[in-house]
Amino acid sequence: MNCGFTEKISSLIDGELSPAEAREVERHLLGCAQCKEARADFLNLRSQISGFEASLPGEVQNRELAKILNKPAASGARLRLSWNWGYGAVALASIAIVALIIGLSFYQRPPEEVASKSPVPVPSPTVAPSPEPDTPQQKPETPPSKESAPKPRRPAREPKPGEQFARIPENVQPVVPERTRSADAQTMTALHFERAETLLRAFRNVRLEDPDSASEVRYERTRAKQLIYQNMMLRREADTSGDVQIASLLDSLEPILLDIANLPDKPDDDTVRVIRERVERKNIVALLQVNSTALARALD
Amino acid sequence: MASQDDEFTMLFQDFYPSLCRFLECLLGGRAPLAQDLAQESFLQLHRTAWGTLPPGEARFWLYRVARNLAINEFRKSHTRYRLFDRVVEAMRPAARNPEQEYETRERKELVLEMLQTLPEDQRTALLLREQEQLSYREIGQVLNISESKVKVDIFRARAALRERWSKKVKVASVGVS
Repeated sequence: MNCGFTEKISSLIDGELSPAEAREVERHLLGCAQCKEARADFLNLRSQISGFEASLPGEVQNRELAKILNKPAASGARLRLSWNWGYGAVALASIAIVALIIGLSFYQRPPEEVASKSPVPVPSPTVAPSPEPDTPQQKPETPPSKESAPKPRRPAREPKPGEQFARIPENVQPVVPERTRSADAQTMTALHFERAETLLRAFRNVRLEDPDSASEVRYERTRAKQLIYQNMMLRREADTSGDVQIASLLDSLEPILLDIANLPDKPDDDTVRVIRERVERKNIVALLQVNSTALARALD
Repeated sequence: MASQDDEFTMLFQDFYPSLCRFLECLLGGRAPLAQDLAQESFLQLHRTAWGTLPPGEARFWLYRVARNLAINEFRKSHTRYRLFDRVVEAMRPAARNPEQEYETRERKELVLEMLQTLPEDQRTALLLREQEQLSYREIGQVLNISESKVKVDIFRARAALRERWSKKVKVASVGVS
């Protein structure tokens, strides 16, 4: 019943024949009714199969994605906590923060003691010992004054947009963290900055006029809730180790994360616009990017 | 500077519906199970292979894993899933346009029924070709078979479906007359 060319018709409609073969089959088609019919049938089957629509409700996709992205970092209990934002979550987070601070303070004490006895803390030409790069040798001898105090517990003021960027020259190793902060803390901070940057970029791109915007905001909100714990932890750690720039940036980030995390299901335009404006005004996305890159470079 | 999660989200948004459709056709319907397996495939990708695969390979990797998961399901008893899917179907909200919905459902069921008559390897190859527009070489990569086998499988699947389709049409026309 089938002509010998029928198999080639199948390859022809898939575009899998060489140009010469395709020409030959096309010529054959002109005079073979069976093959013409076969091609029409194959194309009809194609339209039936490719026109099949999955029974996929719209909301399923975002829910499934959120589950996958949450799963590796947190098993069931933590996942529930991050969604419910209950007392248990706050208590657990507090315990974790206290444990981290205690751990870090023990971890970092010996290098500081050694540094205080040594006249030159870190004899590296590439490291800029911020905030006073010209007077590193005076530190152990002179009593701490307002001008020379290297490690204030909290930043005296919030840095202006772009200030951190201005302090990190291209060819110089950035910030002090190598000396005062553990590599783990730096890695965590760099990753945290990267995640926060991604979140803020995504939040900036949410279209409120879009009917699906509610679910998009819901996703940003969940991510913000997850990041707040880490932000609080890292800010306290940066405060403890006297890393002013990092602490300041984390300090600026925290209220923004809180605002996003506390957004209602269907936020109005004004609420979202106010948060976005604050993000823009503080130039926080660029600062996050610069600092995460700087930290990553320092780790290398 | 897109993070890995960002890239993963993009892949998921682009590709999750296609994977659900592929699995639904492979499994002969059973949409909830297809969604579960699609999610499981993405979860495995995120946990194990994401970041280690060469660019563009993730899609093929997902098809391979999804197909293996589907094959595992074939081996299990179908009964409980059928029962569960019927319950889900019964609980589904009523359609906005019942006539149109009925036609769409009829057409879907016919396609699924026809596809179920094919051997699994032919069905998979045909679905990857017709729905996902993969080339024979790419299908060969996913299924770990040669291009010539892909060509033969697809042709046989088409020939078989064509024959069954014409029989269906004949039966339907006899029924009408």
